[in-house]
Amino acid sequence: MKRTLLAFIRKELIQTLRDVRMRVLLFGAPVIQLTIFGLALSTEIKNINLAVISGPGDAMFGRVAEGFYASGWFKRVIYGSEAPFELIASGRADAVLIAPAGGLARSAARGDGRMQLLVDATNLTKARAVEAYARNIISAAAAREYGARAEPALKFDVRVLYNPAMESSMFLVPGVMGMLVCLITIILTAMSLAREREVGTFETIVSAPLSDAEVLLGKTVPYVLLGVMDAALVVAAGYLIFGVPVRGPLWQLALASLALVITTVSIGTFISTIARNQQQAMLGGFMFLFPAILMSGIMYPVENMPGAIIAAAYLDPLMYFVRLLRNIMLKGGDLHVLWTNLGALALMALVAAGAAYKRFKQTLN
Amino acid sequence: MNAAPALEVKRLSIKFGDFTAVDDVSFAVNQGEIFGFLGANGAGKTTTIRMLCGLLTPTSGSALVGGLGFGDGGLGIKKIVGYMSQKFTLYNDLTVGENLDFAAGLRKLAPAFAKKRRHELFELIGFNKPLSSKVSQLPGGIKQELALAAAMLHDPEIIFLDEPTSGVAPASRARFWGLIRRITGLGKTVIVTTHYMDEAEQCGRIALMRTGRLIALGSPEELKRSAFPGPMAELDFKGAEPKPFISALEKAAGLLELSPHGMRWHAAFADKAAMDAALAGLPPSAAAALIQPSLEDVFIRLVEGAER
Repeated sequence: MKRTLLAFIRKELIQTLRDVRMRVLLFGAPVIQLTIFGLALSTEIKNINLAVISGPGDAMFGRVAEGFYASGWFKRVIYGSEAPFELIASGRADAVLIAPAGGLARSAARGDGRMQLLVDATNLTKARAVEAYARNIISAAAAREYGARAEPALKFDVRVLYNPAMESSMFLVPGVMGMLVCLITIILTAMSLAREREVGTFETIVSAPLSDAEVLLGKTVPYVLLGVMDAALVVAAGYLIFGVPVRGPLWQLALASLALVITTVSIGTFISTIARNQQQAMLGGFMFLFPAILMSGIMYPVENMPGAIIAAAYLDPLMYFVRLLRNIMLKGGDLHVLWTNLGALALMALVAAGAAYKRFKQTLN
Repeated sequence: MNAAPALEVKRLSIKFGDFTAVDDVSFAVNQGEIFGFLGANGAGKTTTIRMLCGLLTPTSGSALVGGLGFGDGGLGIKKIVGYMSQKFTLYNDLTVGENLDFAAGLRKLAPAFAKKRRHELFELIGFNKPLSSKVSQLPGGIKQELALAAAMLHDPEIIFLDEPTSGVAPASRARFWGLIRRITGLGKTVIVTTHYMDEAEQCGRIALMRTGRLIALGSPEELKRSAFPGPMAELDFKGAEPKPFISALEKAAGLLELSPHGMRWHAAFADKAAMDAALAGLPPSAAAALIQPSLEDVFIRLVEGAER
């Protein structure tokens, strides 16, 4: 048993790691994809071009405007004699802040410190962000200028936990990590088994005096190992590239990764028993992966989905893994969240491995 | 040498749903014999071999392979036989050494034993390239010889080879058959399937299969004698129009078989008298020569004749 398993592990690792394409798929692609997804999927808006227009000597307005630039979200637009609308129409500015006639201080003294903010709403996400940022900055400025006496028109009571900077990479990167580990293990396992069947080498394996379980373990354990290695790589990349911390203990991360990888390798095995060749295995893998990724809560909160989809999302192993990753990496590993999600994932691993074993046995002959 | 047959098959059948792939097949193979299966694609050769290797469980009938049955799901049989499937059985992306190490691991061989066997087998097949050679870079004939070595690493007494030489150059095919003879010379039993008539001629006995049934069994000579008890003539029309004569010949009494072979025709008759009578009207420019029937003639008569 041990000798056979070791032979399988050696063979699969050599085959996988010798192939340049596989090496890229395993180690290059996750890092590149993590970087691209982490940056491109960012919901945080930065580099908003803001122009400010005021009369001469409006010191208070100047201080408010500086507040915008100091926030880091806005970039100063230098302009000549263009009208405010022209700045936006030409795309030189995403927003224009205009001081009231006669100066901000004087109009505020009249009880109407109203500034005008022009926002380019062709990009709705950006526009919403500008509005939200502006409210924050202006109410902060009002507090600064008038102290407690100020009565801001709008009250903000947002407390941002765990990600005080509201950096979306913190939130997204663990999700993308889960997605990558899931993708690689499913595709790799399904392809490897389909390849052996397609090429014919599988005949040699089944002609050896091995039990069904030995054959199945031999073809899956190496990929569980590779999957866990990949999970470690992705966590390291997330830390090094995006500074996503691992606040919880590593054993939690290891357990969660192991449970996910066992589930996905089993799903990959299951797919390979249905697929007749490598192309079908690949397609089958993606047929599982796309809905799994969409329902996992990586990009869209599960809570916002319609009821039937939520029900389906509870069958998505990736959803549990993403929750686990966010819990362990960002929150420091709340034990209740850990055990409920890990329990669900472990149950799925058990069911998936059992189904794969049953199906695998049926297709051996 | 002990007298018990290496293989004893009794009324073996296997069905896949409604399809009977192997239908009531019985035969025995002696120790040290080269036993060939000849038949078209889908005749049931591979399925029979896969059952006898313990890969498939028969629907009915019984078989003793090296004295062992299917009672344990084929595990016992798998231990004592070697099997080389018709697809390529080595990993192209691994080296020779890695392939053999994996084969040894699959069979749980002790490293020392595997190493000893590797040396013996390399000597047998005359392999002298480094262990670190990538299999993908070896010529086709050597690959097949290595695949045979991998299938024999555990020193099996009975070796099943399913179309071992398909897609291999003629010179390498001849080499491979030399290897098969050397293996049986060591007292091992080899069961082989083939499409090639010249290979079938080299078998001790041949089982001819058609649509799952065994339709003839015997040595090449026996098969020829039983299929063609009378004489066989090769007709060469040398440019004359064969059609009128051939259509008359088809109706001749005592004609057993008439088949085109390129520009020539082979005609087999029940006896010499029938032949003389039928060939009397041969056009003057044409020539008839007495020939020995080949296995190909046997195959055409027994397999394709049955389909007409």
